Amino acid sequence: MNTLFLKDMRYRRTRVILTSVGITVLVSLILLLGGIMHGMRIQAQQYVKSTGADIWISAEGSGGAFIGFSLLIEENMAPLNTAPDLETGSVSPLIFAQARPLIRGKSTKAIVVGYMADKLGGPTGVVEGKMFKSSKFKDYRPEDPVPDEVIVDEKMGVQIGEQITIGTDTLKVVGKTKSLMFVLDTPLLFMDVRVAQKVLLGNYPRVNMMIAKSKPSTIPGKTDQAITIAANLDASDAIEARTVKQTLDDIIGYYVDEPMKAVQFLRVMLWLASGLLIGMITYVTMLEKTQEIGVLKAIGGSNQYVMSLLLKQVAIISVIGVSIGFCLSYIFAAAAPIFVAINFTESIIVAAISIIVCCGSGYLAARKAIAVDPMIAFRGEIDMGYTPQGETFAHSDA
Amino acid sequence: MATIIEGIGLNKQFGIGDAAVAAINSVDIQIEEGELVMIMGDSGCGKTTLISLLGCILTPDSGELKIDEQVIDPENQDLSVIRREKIGFVFQLFHLLPYLTALENVMVAMDITKTNTSESEKRAKELLTRVGLSERLDHRPAQLSGGEKQRVSFARALANRPKIIFADEPTANLDSRQSDNMMNLIQEIRQEQNTTIAIVTHHEGLKENADRVIHMKDGRIITS
Ligand SMILES: Nc1ncnc2c1ncn2[C@@H]1O[C@H](COP(=O)(O)OP(=O)(O)O)[C@@H](O)[C@H]1O
Ligand SMILES: [Mg+2]
Repeated sequence: MNTLFLKDMRYRRTRVILTSVGITVLVSLILLLGGIMHGMRIQAQQYVKSTGADIWISAEGSGGAFIGFSLLIEENMAPLNTAPDLETGSVSPLIFAQARPLIRGKSTKAIVVGYMADKLGGPTGVVEGKMFKSSKFKDYRPEDPVPDEVIVDEKMGVQIGEQITIGTDTLKVVGKTKSLMFVLDTPLLFMDVRVAQKVLLGNYPRVNMMIAKSKPSTIPGKTDQAITIAANLDASDAIEARTVKQTLDDIIGYYVDEPMKAVQFLRVMLWLASGLLIGMITYVTMLEKTQEIGVLKAIGGSNQYVMSLLLKQVAIISVIGVSIGFCLSYIFAAAAPIFVAINFTESIIVAAISIIVCCGSGYLAARKAIAVDPMIAFRGEIDMGYTPQGETFAHSDA
Repeated sequence: MATIIEGIGLNKQFGIGDAAVAAINSVDIQIEEGELVMIMGDSGCGKTTLISLLGCILTPDSGELKIDEQVIDPENQDLSVIRREKIGFVFQLFHLLPYLTALENVMVAMDITKTNTSESEKRAKELLTRVGLSERLDHRPAQLSGGEKQRVSFARALANRPKIIFADEPTANLDSRQSDNMMNLIQEIRQEQNTTIAIVTHHEGLKENADRVIHMKDGRIITS
């Protein structure tokens, strides 16, 4: 009769279902929050990774390319262009800055990415339309006209030929790139670095970062090569240089981990809540079952026997609740208005921890419950479930 | 006849200080194998406490208890082992598990002793047939009359072939016909299986079934 606990659960199915639903909701929220943060991490990294640059340079004192205020001038490029550890000609000026363009009269969040067409920092190509006409950065004279063209993210819903206004300048959409959003679904607007300087910097010939590729295997034991190269460049007192890995860590810390601390905290609270929930429900259920537990003990059930009955129920409810919550989180993720990327492995770990938390708190409640005195079986005070009134004489005794 | 239960100088007190109640006060008791003993006395005189002590549900504050020639040592022994191996209980309020059928309620006792399912199902069916409930195997407690519930509970008490059965007011919640049926059944089973049975009751009419009547008053045995 190893299905005793199942029969009990079927008998109290309303409570079992409600408990499972409670766990389901909490766990799916925990996983969804994890998915939101994971999604933010992916978006924080994807542009930087897509450039293929492994050395990121910003102005001295900026704290990193994506962190503090940084302006570099063209003169900063000269020593970099001749740096022996950098791939010849790979040094690329880049503007990456938040902006609020007007699209169809509506102010929208976006990031302006200004780069040189034949250098690093741009999209791999367009999925629709064409690339913008490029300027000659080196030959720049402030009075030269710049091509007022922009390439947008395919998911922005902007059509080729439409106009985007940034400040006092109006740009024409000439192409669409494969979607490559930054944190919180912020689309990138790719344009010539000259255009970016015009719309954001009042035509000043500045950029906020430069990116480059390190020369392969200039230094033996090349895994840490980028670190050494970056450190060498960083020694200059005009610039800061970091590897792509350091840069990604900076971005994740600055755009995801820091602002999401409260969410992390909330996740832990939700965990506690689910543990508390199952603990409380188990405990209340146990209070109702005091008599049954006492009877099982009176007729010879050991503490372990009763405990295993209770724990099997807690375990089943936890596993069901967590599993449904797991599936539900994917549905929530698909329906969410922002980019959510649930990481399967991480979710499995979170789900496993949730099961442990639930079982643990169920165990604590059960341990309290099995302390009942079997003597209770001789008493009837709290025996409301099956006192004979109304039943005893309902059938005659054959 | 061998002595199967022997209690010497048993004491049990509930509460402490002024609120202390000496529920069992220096009780010496002996019950022989196969005997049918009735324990009678006014409400509150300690009958339930006494069979709880003898049935290893409660531990005495002092005194010695021997069951089946084994000295009970609550400090170093898991009493649940003695309860499931040697003793069966029948309660005034039946205490069947509401979510189980009659058959399953009997099988629970054998689940506790880890009897395999097919064997325990076979025995539970035999026992329920023996107590006249072969037609009621799949009924839940809520679908059974009081008399039927008490017979299921008796079958459960018999499941592990206990040497001793304790019944606390087994007929108090039954009407007189159900009550007579129950007593007849207890008598028959005792004769068939030579089980020792101790019944707490306040029904004077049941006395005639007993080999011996133990009268209690204020926690003491006054005649036996
Ligand atoms: N758990 C308990 N706590 C306090 N007093 C108790 C407890 N159990 C029994 N008593 C007291 O012990 C005395 C004997 O009780 P009990 O054995 O139930 O009597 P009976 O079964 O003869 O009616 C009574 O005075 C009762 O109030
Ligand atoms: Mg009593």
